[in-house]
Amino acid sequence: MAEDSEWVVESIAGYLGSPEWVIPVTDFMENKCSVFDDEEENKLSYTEIHQQYKQLVEKLLESYMQEVGISEQQFLEACSSPFAKSKTLQTLFQPVLATDDFQMFRSLMVQKNVELQLQALRVIKERNGALPECLTDGSDVMSELEQQEMQILQEVLKRSKEEYEMEMARREQFEEEVGSTSTSFNERPVRNGIEPPALAHSPTQTVNGVSKAGDLKSAVSGSTERTSDKSTVETKTLPAVRAPVKGSTSQPVPKEKTSIQAAESWLDEARKEAGISKPFKELTVAQQEQLQQRAEYLRQQRDKLQALKKEQKAKPVSAEEAPAAPVPTPPSQEISVEEKKKLQKRKHLAEKLKEEVIKK
Amino acid sequence: MGEVQKGLFSVIEKLKGTTEQELRIVLLGLDNAGKTTLLKQLASEDVNTITPTQGFNIKSVTCHGMKLNVWDIGGQRKIRPFWKKYLENTDLLIYVIDSADKKRFEETGLELSELIDEENLKGVPVLIFANKQDLATASPASEIAEGLNLHTYRDREWQIQACSAVSGEGVQDGMNWISNNIVNKKK
Repeated sequence: MAEDSEWVVESIAGYLGSPEWVIPVTDFMENKCSVFDDEEENKLSYTEIHQQYKQLVEKLLESYMQEVGISEQQFLEACSSPFAKSKTLQTLFQPVLATDDFQMFRSLMVQKNVELQLQALRVIKERNGALPECLTDGSDVMSELEQQEMQILQEVLKRSKEEYEMEMARREQFEEEVGSTSTSFNERPVRNGIEPPALAHSPTQTVNGVSKAGDLKSAVSGSTERTSDKSTVETKTLPAVRAPVKGSTSQPVPKEKTSIQAAESWLDEARKEAGISKPFKELTVAQQEQLQQRAEYLRQQRDKLQALKKEQKAKPVSAEEAPAAPVPTPPSQEISVEEKKKLQKRKHLAEKLKEEVIKK
Repeated sequence: MGEVQKGLFSVIEKLKGTTEQELRIVLLGLDNAGKTTLLKQLASEDVNTITPTQGFNIKSVTCHGMKLNVWDIGGQRKIRPFWKKYLENTDLLIYVIDSADKKRFEETGLELSELIDEENLKGVPVLIFANKQDLATASPASEIAEGLNLHTYRDREWQIQACSAVSGEGVQDGMNWISNNIVNKKK
């Protein structure tokens, strides 16, 4: 008897995971979920939809039980067996239980609605490479953060440039004193323990610098080149480190690339990125329009998605993906926000760098 | 077909595996009677930011070890035709009256008598809250009971309770009646 009920539960559980069940139920939810929001008050239309859902589930379950030859008595016994009460089965049975539990049904529908919205966002992102600004939530907070970061960055760039110029000048002077060639330039680790020595040397530099005007000039021109190189390398590491000032002073600057090459390649890349994201930036002008656009866009995307899904469902194989969809959706959203942030930051950097480098 | 459905849903109910008993309560009454305020008061929520209900609200309250699922459905005239969709499997009807709105006593009486005649509410106990007793112009509960001819109800248990949903006064007395007369009998 116990074995018997186990078989029945397994059979029903199998059915609840099969396309015969999943497709019509998911279809129903996707078609009807758009009115379900997370407001506290329920709309009267929810009740109507819940009724339709009940009818659908009833019809599906009944025809399956008839087809397989499970009697109601067997079903009842099977469902009250301890085997049926396990956690995994309970989750599987959730859509069935939702027929009797409006609150559960409602939360399933709200969840489905959110899922579709996120999928729409993902489609937009895949198509455009980035989300239009009007579609990112809390962009105000983000831009504020970014502004702060930019300020810090600017400060860092400025300081490192100063330091570097000082260092270069000091070396120039040092070189003269020792009488060595410019090879010492590259062999030396740059900027280790920069600030105090640089400051300590600066008076001597100014004293000697007066007489050696020509040398100084070359030193400065060299230093500007170096500065641009260094700033690019530094800024590249900044976003990852997240503690810009500290990171820049403690890290010796790697010298693999020649300064001009590095600056150019990075700038090029940065420009390209800035070029892509610029059109979206211009969208920020009329907030209200954006909101409307956003709603409209989302709706369109949703429709397209549904159409797409329907197409997929024509082929039975791809339909199996449907139940798996809920799980990976939330992380993908996080990634997109992360990436969006990164993109924004890079764009700002690119603009900054353009200013810094091109001016020279 | 009908029997099959019933069987299937009793199975589904069992699937839920709820050990505690549940009670379905429907909260009705004219617009502006104070249904949502009462609901929020029952759930110990803020009662100061309530707007006219366009749809319905559901709250679950635990009362003497029993879970009460209270459905508060909007009372505006255009919504009232929807009331009957929510009456199935109801264990208790709570009907709320604005005791200070004398002009609409007749209207509210008519709505109540229509509900009483509903097939789905046959024999279902009724608790009437004579709400807004905090207002000076409120009629006493006994007067309202008379106006509604409550004494003629023979087919069910009923109770009228004066209360103020805003202050919470009298609400607990009503709930005590529920637990004494319905919860204990159902157990």
